[in-house]
Amino acid sequence: MATRDELSEFLASVERRAFKQAQFAVRDSDAALDIVQDAMIKLSENYSDRPAAEFPLLFTRILQNVIHDHFRRQKVRSTWVTLFSALTPAGDDDTDPLETLEALAGSDGAESAGDKVERAQVVAIIEEEVGRLPARQREAFLMRYWEDMDVAETAAAMGCSEGSVKTHCSRATHALAKALRARGITL
Amino acid sequence: MNQDEFGYRIRQALDEGLDRLDYRTTYRLEQARQVALARQPAAQAERGWAPALQTAGGPPVEREPAGWARRLGLAAPLLALVIGFVGINQYQESEESRRISELANMDFAVLLDDVPLETYADKGFGALLQGESDEL
Repeated sequence: MATRDELSEFLASVERRAFKQAQFAVRDSDAALDIVQDAMIKLSENYSDRPAAEFPLLFTRILQNVIHDHFRRQKVRSTWVTLFSALTPAGDDDTDPLETLEALAGSDGAESAGDKVERAQVVAIIEEEVGRLPARQREAFLMRYWEDMDVAETAAAMGCSEGSVKTHCSRATHALAKALRARGITL
Repeated sequence: MNQDEFGYRIRQALDEGLDRLDYRTTYRLEQARQVALARQPAAQAERGWAPALQTAGGPPVEREPAGWARRLGLAAPLLALVIGFVGINQYQESEESRRISELANMDFAVLLDDVPLETYADKGFGALLQGESDEL
């Protein structure tokens, strides 16, 4: 069984990645933060008696479930608000291009300012394209290559076969490589 | 470039993106973590699983932390119970022996009295005794 410190340490180590994964899925920072908080609470309330070694897989599963629940709720909600959707202004983008530049201010001078901006833009494009992958492909790809889960663990977390995981990963890789190439990025 | 290598490059880029999260997001994530930790069941937060006394209709009562305090917490009510039983038993015994000796004295008094035993069965004699005691 895990102690409070172990749980705290684990949550701190995964919270940013969890946020990004949720953000890729729902494309909304506030919703992504709520999702991460829900997932953390569920882990804390229901599974904190488990050994700390089980946390990564459990949390990944919980996070995926909470994301799916979010879409389910959104679907139900959207049936009630369809009539009003036309009134919301289209093309509202919360992201401020200057934020990227602000984040770069004050960092070390090993890289030139131009390189840093370029690198930040590449990272932003990669994140954008990862976010555009079909949900299952993105989940499989991120679990395998970002969370270091093996095929069996990914299959368990996604509730599918190992063959499906391999297929999802392969398709995600090809789709991502193609999309990045189309935007002039070669890794 | 093979799939694993490509995945590794993407991973590097995504990790870089994590370092660029704005303060508002990292602050809210920290808050979320604190909320989640506060919701951790108390028993697990302190010492993992521990047995709890279940009360009728109430929430489980957590035991004291392990050690002398917990042992004392268990022993004290038991000791009080034993002392209570002994006390009740002694009181009952003394009360009973007092009543037995009273009855015995009464029997002796009746037997040693000059008045024949049959007299006590007579209702008139009982009424006479009652009248005398009322006068006294």
